[in-house]
Amino acid sequence: MQNLYAPKSREGFGLWLYKIIAGVLIVLLLGLHFIINHMVAPQGLLSWSDVVAYYQNPIIPIIEVIFLIVVVSHALIGLRSIILDLNPSARLLRLLDGLFVVVGLASIVYGIWLVTVVVSFGKA
Amino acid sequence: MKNASAPQNFPRWFDPRRRQMGTWGFILNRITALGLTLYLFLHLLALSQLAQGASAYDNFIALVEHPLLKLGEMLVIAAGLIHGLNGIRIALNSFGIGTRYQRPLFLGLMALALVGIAIFGVKMFFFS
Amino acid sequence: MNKKWNVTYIIRRQKASQEPRDESFTIEVDPDEYVLDGVERIWAFHDRSLTFRHACHHSTCGACAMRVNGVEKLTCITTIRSVTQDGGTLRVEPLRNFPVVSDLVVDMSSMYLRLEDAAFAQVAPLPATGLPYEGDPATEDPHFERLVDCIECGCCISACPIATTTSTYMGPAVLAGIEHAFKQSHDLSLLDMADREDGVWRCHSAFECSAVCPSNVDPGWRIMNLRRMVTGNRVRRFFGLRPQKGNTK
Repeated sequence: MQNLYAPKSREGFGLWLYKIIAGVLIVLLLGLHFIINHMVAPQGLLSWSDVVAYYQNPIIPIIEVIFLIVVVSHALIGLRSIILDLNPSARLLRLLDGLFVVVGLASIVYGIWLVTVVVSFGKA
Repeated sequence: MKNASAPQNFPRWFDPRRRQMGTWGFILNRITALGLTLYLFLHLLALSQLAQGASAYDNFIALVEHPLLKLGEMLVIAAGLIHGLNGIRIALNSFGIGTRYQRPLFLGLMALALVGIAIFGVKMFFFS
Repeated sequence: MNKKWNVTYIIRRQKASQEPRDESFTIEVDPDEYVLDGVERIWAFHDRSLTFRHACHHSTCGACAMRVNGVEKLTCITTIRSVTQDGGTLRVEPLRNFPVVSDLVVDMSSMYLRLEDAAFAQVAPLPATGLPYEGDPATEDPHFERLVDCIECGCCISACPIATTTSTYMGPAVLAGIEHAFKQSHDLSLLDMADREDGVWRCHSAFECSAVCPSNVDPGWRIMNLRRMVTGNRVRRFFGLRPQKGNTK
């Protein structure tokens, strides 16, 4: 008989609560994003110069980076939950966890780099 | 597919036959989750055009104006609304709030999602 | 007397390591008889090698759960009239998410073992049985006891989309059993048992368990209530407060 309670994934209270808090934040930030896009910038930030100008307000890069971190982590933790339902072996899960951390960190670093580039265009 | 629990049974996640409304919530949440995750990373990659300068980005945006891609964008908005609103139900239920009313809650939130999708659809295809 | 119906049972057969196959039996039934009565008649008059589980015939033992036309049913209380028509067919399959032993018999030992770990008692004081949202029990006197609602039939686990792919998930019946047991004993180790990766956190709110439960256990509600209690106690522990006793609300 297999061990019915062998722990391996750490899926639990912490990740669940994080996922819910991140989800609520996404709903709020996305709502804010749409309000800004359609009320403040009615054309919807469709040209490069609009985007660069938009990012000159210092609060915007901060919000966007927070948004990026929250969305990427919510997405990857959620994807991991789905994969957990496929009952992966402990070995495969460790491998996937590494992959998730790398992809998540890379996305965030890339996003921050992109935001700083866009902001710097306005300073030039 | 096997009768006993087995990972290869996963297509059954998406089989709503003979199941109840809760399964629709489960299916919609799972499909939109996968779709939105895919979109998130495509979106991040696409935005790298911003770093290439004004003409590269504006040419890229002109490309995105293609009706097929607009349809794709519409799908993303629909998925976002469904996942976000359904997520509110799941979050509330997870704290033991409104569990008995998860069915009407689901219907109400999905009706709201439909209204949202209709508004965005009309805006996108008739006023832009 | 009702007019008799001719009904074709399509039964999923499987012995040992054989591939499953469907076998049809057309029999004459009274539409107000139960699905299980037809299965028994097929065994008695058509094929003595057909295996299935049953005992009490009145929804108390939980042995005769099967999938009828793709839905988990306690076959001893499911009338033939409610699932087919005269001249119609009726598909009977073993419960899913359990290994098949033979034909309609599945091995539910994983569920029984987990229920035993959960200190699940079949008899409980009246105030602690039933669903709290259904109103006050007939008496608050704990000396009165009754059989609890869960009859361990396995319908909920068969209907659960998570149990479909992972055998390590405790499953609705067991989590509902823990919720039930905790409200009786206030034993915090029960919350810890549920507060793990294969416990309350694996449920993805499809509520199929509650939809198929033939005995009004509402496992979906109980899993969410268990989550609430686990979360509440974690928060209390975090702030150094004493754990709350089983909240029955």
